[in-house]
Amino acid sequence: MRGLVALLGREKVLGAREDLLLYEYDGAVDTATPDAVVLPESTADVAALARFCHEHRVPIVPRGAGTGLSGGAIPVEGGVVVSFARMARILEIDVPNLRAVVQPGLINLHLSTAVAPHGLYFVPDPSSQKACTLGGNVAENSGGPHTLAYGVTTNHVTGIEIVLSDGTVLRLGGKAVEDEGYDLVGAFVGSEGTLGLVTEITVKLTPLPEDKRTVMAAFPTMDEASETVSAIIAAGIVPSAIEMMDQLATQAVEASVHAGYPLDAGGILLLEVDGPRDGLDDARARIEKICRDHLASEVRVASGALERERLWAGRKGAFAAMGRLSPDYYVQDGVIPRTRLPDILRLVKDAGVRHRLRVANVFHAGDGNLHPLILFDSRLGPDELERAKAAGLEILTACVEAGGSITGEHGVGMEKNCYMPLQFQPSDLAAMRRLKDAFDPDGLMNPGKIFPTPSRCREFAFASTAR
Amino acid sequence: MSATVTRAIPADAAECARVLADAARDRRTVRIRGSGTKSYIGDIAPTDIEIGTSRLAGVIDHEPADLTVTVGAGMRVADVAAVLARAGQFLPLDPPHADEATIGGVIAANSNGVWRARYGAVRDLLIGTRIALADGTVARAGGRVVKNVAGYDLDKVLVGSFGTLGVIVEATFKVLPVPAASDGLVARFVRSADAFAAADAVIRGASRVEACVVERSEGPAWRLAVQARGSAPTVKRAVDDARREVAARQGKSNELGDELGQMRELPARAIDGALVRASLPLAASPAFAETAARLESLAALVADAASGVVRVHLLGDDEAVIRDAEALLLAARVVGGSGRIERRAEQLRSRLSTWPTRPNGDFLMRRIKDSFDPAGILEPGRSAFA
Ligand SMILES: Cc1cc2nc3c(=O)[nH]c(=O)nc-3n(C[C@H](O)[C@H](O)[C@H](O)COP(=O)(O)OP(=O)(O)OC[C@H]3O[C@@H](n4cnc5c(N)ncnc54)[C@H](O)[C@@H]3O)c2cc1C
Repeated sequence: MRGLVALLGREKVLGAREDLLLYEYDGAVDTATPDAVVLPESTADVAALARFCHEHRVPIVPRGAGTGLSGGAIPVEGGVVVSFARMARILEIDVPNLRAVVQPGLINLHLSTAVAPHGLYFVPDPSSQKACTLGGNVAENSGGPHTLAYGVTTNHVTGIEIVLSDGTVLRLGGKAVEDEGYDLVGAFVGSEGTLGLVTEITVKLTPLPEDKRTVMAAFPTMDEASETVSAIIAAGIVPSAIEMMDQLATQAVEASVHAGYPLDAGGILLLEVDGPRDGLDDARARIEKICRDHLASEVRVASGALERERLWAGRKGAFAAMGRLSPDYYVQDGVIPRTRLPDILRLVKDAGVRHRLRVANVFHAGDGNLHPLILFDSRLGPDELERAKAAGLEILTACVEAGGSITGEHGVGMEKNCYMPLQFQPSDLAAMRRLKDAFDPDGLMNPGKIFPTPSRCREFAFASTAR
Repeated sequence: MSATVTRAIPADAAECARVLADAARDRRTVRIRGSGTKSYIGDIAPTDIEIGTSRLAGVIDHEPADLTVTVGAGMRVADVAAVLARAGQFLPLDPPHADEATIGGVIAANSNGVWRARYGAVRDLLIGTRIALADGTVARAGGRVVKNVAGYDLDKVLVGSFGTLGVIVEATFKVLPVPAASDGLVARFVRSADAFAAADAVIRGASRVEACVVERSEGPAWRLAVQARGSAPTVKRAVDDARREVAARQGKSNELGDELGQMRELPARAIDGALVRASLPLAASPAFAETAARLESLAALVADAASGVVRVHLLGDDEAVIRDAEALLLAARVVGGSGRIERRAEQLRSRLSTWPTRPNGDFLMRRIKDSFDPAGILEPGRSAFA
């Protein structure tokens, strides 16, 4: 602690108990208190800090806004939390090259707002985009409703500056789409802070679509809603977003946001097509017809920007709205092939019933990325969270057995590292370990994440069901 | 190095891994061969063993409604396309050597065509692989679903790895439904600046075109080829817009024939002289092309306006070709891009190395290589960082 203050100055280091408490949690359910928190203001600060930690063999845990949903920013093995709150500037908006260069602490939405006057935007739009940072997006390879058609974070990052755990500063990639040699930018995106600290990011900017059509469709049950998703895709339509919500979620949203979703629907789809104006109404009409063919009781097309905003506000505010239903929720992020939606959703429901917990579903249906929100009440005792986790594990096991993944965008973190053997064989994990050892041979970057740890994972001894 | 090459054509991933493990134990070097279409890339020398992937072929899984396909790495891209076409779908990759290239080779060489404007590159479409490794194990990276962040994205490291880390035996890609309509145009310009300005307007426009490529081959004229696919109204709009951008810059539009195919196949034709491939920030392409146009040995230039990947074919006197190639690689670096000598005639091999400079992060690349291939047997001469 004293060494850190001497190195960086008092105003960049937090060590008081009450300050540290603010950094012991993120958007998920696990907590741990850091030994110290550092707020660097430059790459040089980050490099100096890394050298210090390397010398003293102290773990380093990067942190953006702390909205992560897998405990990624939690210092489970102690150490220094590095908050990027003071490295939040846009360094360059390069319109001719369709790139922006930003610091990692920049809030996602601030980037799209800043480049909108140039007719551009940054595609990845996590529902947390008003709070989460670009550094967090890079670390988690975040998605969002509109990544269905236009790709997730990794498809929109061309360059990074990183600091390795020994303090080495390295620039990888740049404004061009690719560099020679191995794609280290691609390897780093999605590495959850375990390979290094990202201190600068070069992202692609995309021309804003000329226009959009947003459709809300209400169905008697989730089955019809699921089948509609498959039918739309089978018809050759590729919407920019297909989001689904069940009745419990709709009720919570309506109570808090008043998005205008019908309360009696068993399942709701929120669909969007965007692009050149020509052809949008054609696509919208085809979508409407498919919805009606699948027994939609209501199909509403947003009449303008205001109504579109309202429909989306409901979706983006859905997690927060869970507070209306329950003091706590545990959200899972499994992915399945789209065609398996109806049976897996039934299984999700059964898992809730079996563990005596309510489950709401709000998710990216177009790419088969589930988000079951398992509601529990920690005031009733530790058993509640245990049951929520047990239900979550059943759901993830089913996702893997269906040929899917335990996480589509929230990351493994410390929440699912013990579940990695569900999806991967020892040889698969060994291959990943080689990447880890190349970047961080001393294992100081964000330890206790992604890879199963013997101490915490002893009780989970499952064989891989991976295909 | 022995004089005779041992050929192995493994029937499955496990057999392939065994061949590799034996080779590693005996320190025998290995080359991996799909159809051999890109054997010109790299500073390659003969190896002790050649592993052919032809038996690692065939469709392993294709559920049309999931918009994914899993195939053996030895399968030809053209054959994958034929299978998908029967389901009304396509793999949105159009690499050069279109008839022969195999899936594994396209991944290993990061081989892209002109469609990346719309659909992205190999790295954007590949969602999973299985690889046979030099320690005799088989590992899986990624998965079979379109979204997946469980663990590291090893697929990215394999794209463009030229077989230096292991043998790709299987791959899963995102696929798309075949669009209903297709149209395009090809335009001629006197000045390169006009051709690039029109191209730039097209890629920034409301329509998302499938390809937008500027070319110069024989004669002083510059050509721009634009293709759009999608629903009929969007295609009409895209082509109308492109025609207007062309006319605004004194270009002459004509109907699109097979020009895009010819442009894409430049690497296949560039047997003599040298072919420089540069990846540039988008806005740097016009000046780079101008520089290339002034070179004594310029034979052809193909610039993908949407990605900033530019290929320049140089022909003529060896000394001029070497001098011009080096000038282009330097020009690419100066503007913040990178480049390589993708292909060169046999007599230039010793004088033009594929990767004359090392990329940033070369020491990390070396560590990765050493951990996957500690004996250093895999694809010698095909590491950009060596
Ligand atoms: C209401 C709500 C809705 C959400 N919706 C979505 C959604 O639609 N799609 C989606 O993908 N996610 C979603 N998330 C999850 C979360 O917002 C994203 O994962 C986000 O990218 C995390 O950003 P953050 O800045 O909060 O990162 P944090 O939570 O602070 O950290 C996340 C991880 O990133 C690492 N990290 C942070 N900064 C750096 C850095 N500079 N260098 C290296 N590593 C770093 C941390 O170590 C940690 O492992 C949602 C979360 C909430 C609470």
